[in-house]
Amino acid sequence: MDYLGPSENKRFDFNFALIILALNLVGLINLYSASGGVNAVGISRLFWQQFVWLGMGWTVFLVVTFLNYNLIKMWATQIYVVNLMFLLAVIFVGKKSLGAQRWVDLGFFRFQPSETMKVALVLVIAKILAHRIRQEGMGIKDLITPLVITMIPFAITVIQPDLGTSLLYLAVVGTILIFVKIKRSVIIAVLVTIAVALPVVWQFGLKPYQKSRVLTFISPGRDPRGAGYNSIQSKIAVGSGQIFGKGFKKGTQSQLEFLPERHTDFIFSVLSEEHGFVGSITTLALFGVLFILGLRIAQNTKDPYACIVVVGLMGIIFWHFFINIGMVMGILPIVGVPLPLISYGGSSLLTTMASLGLISSISYNRSLFQS
Amino acid sequence: MKSDNVIYDSETQIFNLSTRFFTLYGFLLFFFIILCIRLWHLQIIQGDVLKVISVKNRVKQKKILSPRGYILDREGRVLVDNSLVLQLTLNLQGLDPKEKEIISKKVGEILTLTPKQINDRITKSIVLNGRYFPAVIADNLTIDQAYALKLLRIEHPLINIEEFISRIYPYGASGSQLYGYVSQISKNQLDNTEVKEKNLLPGDMIGKKGVEKKWDEQIRGKDGLTYVQVDAHGRVADIDDVILEGSNLEPIRPKSGDHVMLTIDLDIQEAAHKAFQRDDKIGPRIGALVALNNKAEVLAWVSEPSFDSNQFVYGISNEDWKQLIQNPFKPLRNKVIQDNFSPGSTFKPFVGVAALEKGVIKPTTYLDSPGYFVLGRKRYHNHTKNGHGMVNIASALETSSNVFFYKLAMDLGIDEMAKYARAFGLGQATDIGIDVENPGLIPDSQWKLKNRNEAWQKGEDLVHSVGQGFIDVTPLQMALAYLAIGNEGPLYQPLVVKKILKGSDQSKVLKEFKPQLVRDLSKVNEEGFKISAETFAAIKKGLTQVGNGDRGTAKWWKIPGVPIAGKTGTSQVRAFSNDEIYKSCYSRPITDRHHGWFVGYAPADKPEIFVAVLTMHSCAGSSGSAPLARDVMEAYMRKYHPELFKTSGDNVVGL
Repeated sequence: MDYLGPSENKRFDFNFALIILALNLVGLINLYSASGGVNAVGISRLFWQQFVWLGMGWTVFLVVTFLNYNLIKMWATQIYVVNLMFLLAVIFVGKKSLGAQRWVDLGFFRFQPSETMKVALVLVIAKILAHRIRQEGMGIKDLITPLVITMIPFAITVIQPDLGTSLLYLAVVGTILIFVKIKRSVIIAVLVTIAVALPVVWQFGLKPYQKSRVLTFISPGRDPRGAGYNSIQSKIAVGSGQIFGKGFKKGTQSQLEFLPERHTDFIFSVLSEEHGFVGSITTLALFGVLFILGLRIAQNTKDPYACIVVVGLMGIIFWHFFINIGMVMGILPIVGVPLPLISYGGSSLLTTMASLGLISSISYNRSLFQS
Repeated sequence: MKSDNVIYDSETQIFNLSTRFFTLYGFLLFFFIILCIRLWHLQIIQGDVLKVISVKNRVKQKKILSPRGYILDREGRVLVDNSLVLQLTLNLQGLDPKEKEIISKKVGEILTLTPKQINDRITKSIVLNGRYFPAVIADNLTIDQAYALKLLRIEHPLINIEEFISRIYPYGASGSQLYGYVSQISKNQLDNTEVKEKNLLPGDMIGKKGVEKKWDEQIRGKDGLTYVQVDAHGRVADIDDVILEGSNLEPIRPKSGDHVMLTIDLDIQEAAHKAFQRDDKIGPRIGALVALNNKAEVLAWVSEPSFDSNQFVYGISNEDWKQLIQNPFKPLRNKVIQDNFSPGSTFKPFVGVAALEKGVIKPTTYLDSPGYFVLGRKRYHNHTKNGHGMVNIASALETSSNVFFYKLAMDLGIDEMAKYARAFGLGQATDIGIDVENPGLIPDSQWKLKNRNEAWQKGEDLVHSVGQGFIDVTPLQMALAYLAIGNEGPLYQPLVVKKILKGSDQSKVLKEFKPQLVRDLSKVNEEGFKISAETFAAIKKGLTQVGNGDRGTAKWWKIPGVPIAGKTGTSQVRAFSNDEIYKSCYSRPITDRHHGWFVGYAPADKPEIFVAVLTMHSCAGSSGSAPLARDVMEAYMRKYHPELFKTSGDNVVGL
């Protein structure tokens, strides 16, 4: 098989690349404002750093696009295992960051294995499920291996503790499973298990700060200066933007630092405050187009493996998107989840661009299976 | 990993999966609708409310301090001043114990304060103003300290360096009971309804005593308000934004306090204050002094021991406060008006006036004044064993003969003596209008019957004729009464505040106060009597002889070229037995020693300055108080009549 290089049957999806570029630009413009503010001097270091990450991100995107994705399919299991080892390594040597051990310092780069694990999980589960698709849906027996594969990184991230990421694993795997169809009896069994497990997890599984986040989410006024502060300030920022926003670099909530983590997790409140309902809806629409274009690539591929991979990867990006924006607008508890393509941060951006590159590669190589 | 029971068929599998996309698009739509609804709810429905909250978030009120008005002397010299100082404040909101510890340590290093001292200031501030008001950690920062703290503030935004207009009392303890002091209003005072009407805020400085208290509202002015934009850490933030955009907040301009010009003459005041610091055998004096000009305008006001008003400005320390409270001679009391003393022999002129007016004696009537006077079985002593021989009213005052006045009292009785003493304002509030006055008492037979339920005894007439017994007066009353004698008639309400000047423009007089005549004793009063010129002349002759006669009790204290008139007096702190009575005063324990009075005026022939001095436990007026009065009178004469001193050139006075 020909793993590298274009042929006459292959076509690069320019629309897909353009929508990514558009979101990158929205992110950059917004970061420029968010990294300014009262205490900033000139154009912030963060802005230029993100610029560099973007360059690297696009390089990765293009390289992966023109790779034959079958190469990745072949190595899926190995990628997963290596990633798992890194994840374990984090527990022992990882750097403390925001109360949880999440980083491995590779010297030149702080690498977050829980981030790449999402992708590895999709790759390996797609490989397994691609051969088990059935009209009537999958049964318990088909699901044992994928569930074990999911529960290992899930358990590790729970221990870390990084509840946001572990729930994301479940959401992504769940999305894939619903997509490939499982038997109704299995779904009911899972729902019952969750209903039983939830109180137990609350009582014994959650750390005090995690409980506090959930409680604060339910009632943010409980502690307006403490745990509820972020949620309240974010809602004020979004709401005070009204229809047209306060204007570029004029968002008082962000410029005066009332917003916490305003260039990472709360980047969307900066956008909403400064560009209002119009700007926010436009951004949501851009994401909507991205998801639709992604799903169309999945629809157009003839390879069931590729199809599941695209759905899984789009699932990762979608859940990040939904949880982040839900949290910023106060309909979900505060968990440290960045907004893909918009938030500042290399780890998130590179993983996202690599995932999008893989989707682009699947689009580029979609006729491969037929030949 | 291939499972055996699944047959791989690409065509059918793809077909199967493609039907599954419907579910995915459904989910996508569902979640997008949720986000859009929430966005619409926050930005459109709740937008107005949240916008107001976002303004409140970043806009804080900031007080623009108005300077307090000055307290000036009669020539416009500043007695009580202001100065711009830098304060270190600590925001207590959002201060966790760990941060507090770090800040205490770092601030302590810069200001050389122990963490305990810093903690005390914080505790005190919480007691005074509660938790929501920033605590003042240090005042009067030097430029170096302020700079170091500004740098520290970058990491610890809860600390703040603020400008503060501080009250300054450049003359420290001189006149402090009169000028009073300011200190921060306490939370309890803020809750007081009377204070509430004045719109005071925590941290405001208010006058707590003396002129500062009495004229507080004029002096205080009105603080202004401005609005500043702050960031999430409470730091003032300037960004290119109209701060008040979207709010309807109007800044308020501050109004500086009006100035109070006193009748005090700084030169005389300083001379009076200095006069108490003596190094003779009695030592530094405690007591009171008040000097008036001939319109009863207060020129000098001393109450010793005193206190430094500056120590109250930033909140007095517990040790300093304890010292003030526990001092047996009560520095905080304004002895010029708040403490009562028996006038002793300084009361005799008023008995003399009564006797002359009632025709008991004529100015030329001579009476024998032996060592004692017998009434019933009791001897009433003169202060010298052998008495003074034959004396008339003038020489009886000169020698301070008790027996002469006992004899007058036998004829007059207490009610006549009281009538004349009261006509001179004794035992009555002077209505000077500064702090609370203690009026004292001039008793009569009715009073005793009513208050003691006893009839007046003849022996009491004798005791009261020499200013002892129930008679209680203040130094200010005595000065005013002697002014009426010296000027032959006018009894004034004393004046201490001359003018109120506009705060923003000192040349503009808002209010001016003129001396108020209570009554003219040389004219027939409401009770149908007056005091004749002959009577005044006879008494004044006696008072002049006190300072100048051969037997004058204050003859040792002279101003070259300027005759002094006056009267010494001894206010007994307790009664002594016959054996004890002539014992040397200095051999007694200090609290057993009598108080000494001197009340007088100068020049004797044409009085201009009137001084009343009471020195506590100084044994006698002649040595205890008279020299102080002389110093003050001399300072006055040298200032206002320098020509009298040109030839003599020296101010050395014989003992």
